[in-house]
Formats: sequence, C-alpha cells, structure tokens
Amino acid sequence: MENIGALAIVLAFCLAVYAAVGSVAGRLAKKPFLVVSAQRAVYAVFGLLTLASGLLVYLLLTGNYYIAYVAAHSDPGMPTLYKFTAWWGGQEGSLLLWSWLLSGYSAVVMWTNRRRFRDMMPWVTFILMATETFFLTLITFPLSPFKILIAGAKANLVEGQPQGLNPLLQYPAMAIHPPMLYLGYVGFTVPFAFAIAALITKQPGDEWIHTTRRWTLITWLFQSTGVTLGMGWAYAVLGWGGYWGWDPVENASLLPWISGTAFLHSVMMQEKKGMMKVWNMVLVSGTFFLCILGTFLTRSGIVSSVHAFAQSSIGNYFVVFLTVGIAATVWIILDRMKYLKSEAHLESVVSRESSFLFNNLILLSSCFAVLWGTLFPVISEAITGDKISVDKPFYDKILIPVGLFLMFLTGVGPLIAWRRSSLESLRRAFMWPSAAALALVIGLCFAGVYNHPYALVSFGLCLFVTVTIALEFWKGATAIRAKNDMNLVRAAVELTHRNTRRYGGYIVHMGVVLMFIGFTGSAFNKDRTVQVAPGQDFAIGHYNLTVTDLQDGNNDNYEWRTVSVAVRKGGEDLGILHPEHRFYKSSNQPASEVAIRRRLNEDLYVNFAGMSSDDSRIVIQAYVFPLVSWIWLGYYVLLAGTLICLVPPKVRLAYARTEVVGIVPKREPVEK
Amino acid sequence: MAAWKRIVLLAAVAGLLIGQDGTALVTPSVRRVGMRLACLCATCRNTVGDCAMLECGYCKPARLKIAQMQAEGKTDDEIVASFVKENGIQALASPPTSGFSLLAWVMPFVAIALGLVAIAWFVRRFGARRAAAELPELDPETLKRYQEQIEKDVARLE
Repeated sequence: MENIGALAIVLAFCLAVYAAVGSVAGRLAKKPFLVVSAQRAVYAVFGLLTLASGLLVYLLLTGNYYIAYVAAHSDPGMPTLYKFTAWWGGQEGSLLLWSWLLSGYSAVVMWTNRRRFRDMMPWVTFILMATETFFLTLITFPLSPFKILIAGAKANLVEGQPQGLNPLLQYPAMAIHPPMLYLGYVGFTVPFAFAIAALITKQPGDEWIHTTRRWTLITWLFQSTGVTLGMGWAYAVLGWGGYWGWDPVENASLLPWISGTAFLHSVMMQEKKGMMKVWNMVLVSGTFFLCILGTFLTRSGIVSSVHAFAQSSIGNYFVVFLTVGIAATVWIILDRMKYLKSEAHLESVVSRESSFLFNNLILLSSCFAVLWGTLFPVISEAITGDKISVDKPFYDKILIPVGLFLMFLTGVGPLIAWRRSSLESLRRAFMWPSAAALALVIGLCFAGVYNHPYALVSFGLCLFVTVTIALEFWKGATAIRAKNDMNLVRAAVELTHRNTRRYGGYIVHMGVVLMFIGFTGSAFNKDRTVQVAPGQDFAIGHYNLTVTDLQDGNNDNYEWRTVSVAVRKGGEDLGILHPEHRFYKSSNQPASEVAIRRRLNEDLYVNFAGMSSDDSRIVIQAYVFPLVSWIWLGYYVLLAGTLICLVPPKVRLAYARTEVVGIVPKREPVEK
Repeated sequence: MAAWKRIVLLAAVAGLLIGQDGTALVTPSVRRVGMRLACLCATCRNTVGDCAMLECGYCKPARLKIAQMQAEGKTDDEIVASFVKENGIQALASPPTSGFSLLAWVMPFVAIALGLVAIAWFVRRFGARRAAAELPELDPETLKRYQEQIEKDVARLE
C-alpha cells in the first residue's frame, strides 16, 4: 500500500515537471498539442495526489503503525476524526495536503479557463506547476509520508510504538484550522500565477485582475477563517484564554493575510482608475512569497515556536525557491514596467484614491512590523551573537497605534469621494460619525474608563466607523425606498444586491469593527488562581464560584478528572461549569479542557489546572474576559460580508475609467 | 537594626512563598516587574507577569526571585538588570532601546516614513498639476460634445 502511495507521489512529481516544462515549450514552439498535453498532466497530478492522500488517510485510519508517519501521529485510542486529521498533524502529511490542495486549485483553474486566455494559460500552468514541483520535491525526496519505520530511522520513536496526535491538536477547531489556512496559503498562488503570466505575455489591460478577483477573495476568506479558527483554538485549549500570542508561526499566518488585504483594496484603484498597476503586481507577488516564507518559518526551525513542526533539513530548499522566485519576479516586473503605466492621475490629496494609498501604507507598515519582529531575534543573533526576545509587549507598543490609525482610515475612506472631496462635503460627511464617537468617549470617561487611553480611542473609532457604515446604508436605502415604495430593510437588501462588492465590503468592515471591540475588551481582563477543596468558594469579578464535585475516569485515549463548578452572580444561580484535566496515554502529555460561559458582555473562563502538591486541593484558574465573544461574532459578520461580495451584482457595473482628453482653457465661456 | 529587619522580612517572605504555586505569587508588584521579563520556558511566549502555566519551570522561580528582591528593597530596574545579567538580554520581553536592538523599535517607523515619502512622490509624479501641464487645451467642439454626453447621462439617471 505504501509503495503505491510513494509511487503516486513520484509520478505526480514527474508529471508536474512535465506540465511546467511542456506548457512553456509548447507555447514557445507554437505547438498547441504540447500545451494541451501539459494541461492534462495537471489533472493527472491532481488524480495521483488524491490517490496518495487517500492511501495515507487509509493507513492512518486502519492503524498501520509500521509506517513512520502513522506511528508518529496516530494511535489506536484516538477518535476517528483525529486519526483523519493526523493527515496534516505532521510535517510530511501537511506537505502532502499542501501539494494536493495546489493540484486541486490548478485543476480547477485549467478547467474553468480551458477555452480562455490561450496566450496566458501556458504560463499560468508553468507557474502553478513549478510551485507544485517544489512541494512535491519535498515529499518525494527528504520527507516522504510513506517511509517505513525501521530501527534507528527515527531516534525519538520506539519501533512501531504509536505516539498519537499531540493532545493540544485534538480539538474540533484544530481539525479544520490547518486545511483552511492552507486553502488560503495555496490559493494565493493562483492570482500570482495569472499576474506573472500577464506580465510575461505583455497583456496591456488588467484582465488578470478580473479573472482572479474571486479567487483572491475566496482565498482571503479561507485565510481569515484559518487565522480565526487558530485564535479560537488557542483561546479554548491553551488554558489561559490567550487567542493571540505573537508567536512566529501565528505571525506567519498573519503576514499574507495583511498583504492580501492591502491587495484587495489597491486592486480597486486599478479596476476603477487604471492606477497602481506596478504596486498591485508587487502586492500579489509579495503575498505569494509571504505564504512561502511563512511555510519556511514554520518548517525550517529558523525561529523557535511552540507551533512549529519538528526541525528538518528542508530550510535550504525553501531558501533556494524563495531566492530564485523573488529574483525572477523582480526582474519580470522591472522588465515589463512600460506595460504597467498608470492610466489616470491623482487629482487631489483629499480623495478616495489617497485614502487607498494611506490604507496600503498602514497595512504594509504593520505587515513589515510583524515580519521585522518575527525575524529580529534571528537577525540580532546573527549580527551581535545575542539572543533576544521579541514578545507581546513589543507588538503591542508598535501595532496598537498602527491598528487604531487603520481603523480610523476604515471610517474615513468611504466618506471621501473618488477624484476629490470639498471641505464642505467632508464636514457634512464627518459630522455625525465624529459627534457620536466623541459622545461615546466622553461617556466612557465619566464611566471611569479614562485610565485606558487606547481602549477609549478604540471604542470611539469603532463607533465612528459603525456610524459611517450605517449612514452609507441609510442614504442608499432611503433613496431606493423613496423610489420603489418598499420598507427600509427591503431597500437595504436591494441596495446591497445592486452593488454587492461595495456594500459587502462595508459589512466586512463592520466585522472588523466588531473584532476590534473584542480585542479592546482585553484591556479589562481579570484573572485569579486559587487552590480550593470541594465545597469551598471564591470570587472573581461579579461571579462567585463554588467547587461542588470532583470525578475521574478514563477511556482508550486519555484519563480524565472533572470538577463541577457552580456559578452564581448577585445571588442568582447561573449553572454549573465542568472544566476537565486530561492525561493522554500514548503521548504521556497532560491537557486541559476548559469550561467557558460565553456571553456577549464577557466570558467566564474556568480552567482545572490540576491538584495541589499534596493532592488535597483543586487548583482552579478563573478568568473574566470582557467582550471577547465580539471577536468571533465579528468573524461571522466578516464571513457574511465576503460571501455577499462574491454574489454577482443585480446591476452590472462598468467601471468607467476617467479619460482625461484635455483641459478647459481659462476664461473660456462654457455654453449651456 | 536595619539588617535585622531585612532578615526578618526576608524570612517572612520566604516562609510565605515556600510551597506556593507560581501563579499565586503574581501580586500586582510582581506582575508589574514580570511584565518586563520574557518567559524563557520555550513553551509559551508570555511574560513572567502573565504566564499562566502553573508549574512553569522559568516563571515560578522568577516570580519568587522578584518577590525576594522587592522585599530587599530593590527597584524595578535593578531587578530587571539582575535578570539580564543572569540570562542575557533575551530575559527582556521586548528589545532594549539601545545598541543594535534599537533597530527593532526604529525600523517599523522608518518603514512608515519611507511609505509617506513614497506617497509624496506618487502624488507629485501622478498629481493633477503635472497631468494638467502635460495635457493639450480642449477645443470648444470637444468640450461641447462631452457636456452633451453628461447632460444625456444625467437625464437618464433621473
């Protein structure tokens, strides 16, 4: 079985090389047969990798522990779901997942464009398959998932003894977090491939943008989902409620998301005004290479991270791929600069165009700050020999003000008109949002929040953006209501349907606002650790907690101890929480299953951390996390907004470019 | 007499600390100093002040040390300096603002400054004034044609 799997990967590798070389050779030699043959090889690569993935999953589910990968990441006691998710629980399997997803994306691209872009497609095929070849090189040669376990093959394994999936990964959100993240990472290859193909074939227009807009948006959505699921997992599993720790691997997932967000914004400048063409090329390429860089950071061991895969020798492969890829991309962009000339001019600094420029500046600056903070320990050690820590305080100090300014721009952008805005129109547009924000800040100061300046500013800006969005919907919906005799809600739906990109975008912004409210709540977190005997109670925030019971037991996978914690608030009984402490048998590792009482205003989070040293008292860590649920709520709003953006608009909008044919001579009378 | 008082105080602190778990030692003053120090357990990326791992091999003794030094009357800076002396600058939760590490703080703002310069260049390069200088004067015939088109479009909107 494992031989068939390994053979499928080797064949897929050979066919990927063939597809990459054949498509370009066919295009250059003008042999359509070769091009079509190369494109069909893409389908074959997908088929072979589906077979290899299916076999690995089968080996995991049926417990073939003579396979090194199966022994290292699965054990008989694990539930079937986690045996399946062990596919991406380790280095080799996750690289196979990556390759399989890329082959799937590539097959879809080939199929949907089989009769379009005859000039570009061979180059698209080349870039997709060159990337595929790189990843297949890793799982064909140094990191095959089908290696048979023999004595000494892996120093940390006793032959044939199953180790099981890391207990922290045995959690439902973690089951789908990696595939979502990979769908995002891998998906950015498609717009990159089209962008570079457009450059190579000297396409004068921006057809690649229209073609890949949905790809980019879907990919961005997957990336957002992956990042949020990771946050949700960290929040519920690690035991202290931290959803973001600025770990290098977390940062690696954030980097392409930020640059992808910048690209989604600046691409509008190209669509509507024919501007920023070079910049969009840089952004889409940068996003792709940040995805590869993130994978490199996660897998090479260059940065220390609790989330990283085991250190391996594949770092050099990544360095070569990144170096060659970036050099080739820079060369092609510089060489084709004359095809990327801007078609319009910036008419005023106070314009929507300028707000996009500032939006890109702030997004890219925050992207750089995250990258810099991630790599600085490595750079510092290489140059000075000193190890250095760059942890949460650094990121907080740099990124909180930057994030707040970005939130400000989120509110300002939609208020400024394309081309230019007059001061009067700005005054009218800003009046209500600013007044509402100011009123909230003053109100919060009176409520005693004045000693948290960032929180004050953040809440004020969140309301500012909310009012701008609400006003946009209000103005549009009331106009439709007046014309079409319908109620306001129906008119708002109609408005959104007419221009799904614009109003879906506002809903995405609203999701981000809700997330910011959730992040801001962390300024008011409370925590308490106590050692109590059953029957004893303690207080945290407004809550009074009583440990009422302690039970234990075990199953095939782990031994467990659960405590029952009765929760009361102001004398009212709020129910019982059951935090659990587990000890996983195969991996010999403890893990906590926290109990969370989720509410919109605050979460009560209780962790059964273990027993006191004399085993007589229960150690409970209790936390109150204000507003944290708004983060997850914000994600769902962001999801809805992105899906709306993907819906074709009811009114097909043609983005008329501003064609400037000349200037009106001064003192020339204009006839009416 | 002062030495006696210090010894008694230290003995009292030590007595209170023995047998306590790591998180129970997080008094507000310990947390204040702890927030400046990185947890070097290599499992989490928290600070000594907010690491929630109950038996953290680094934070538990670190908090004990902070409490003891505070009892001895050491200032926050002296306590932090002692950790740096013992573990190197990686003991700090964020890079120091001197020497090579200053770059960590400066570079993000340099990036923003460079971005602003780039925007200024973009505005100058693609700004309307330059565009206007490059454009020919519009003849009345063409202007009239465009104005008629505008009238038509506006009428269609209404």
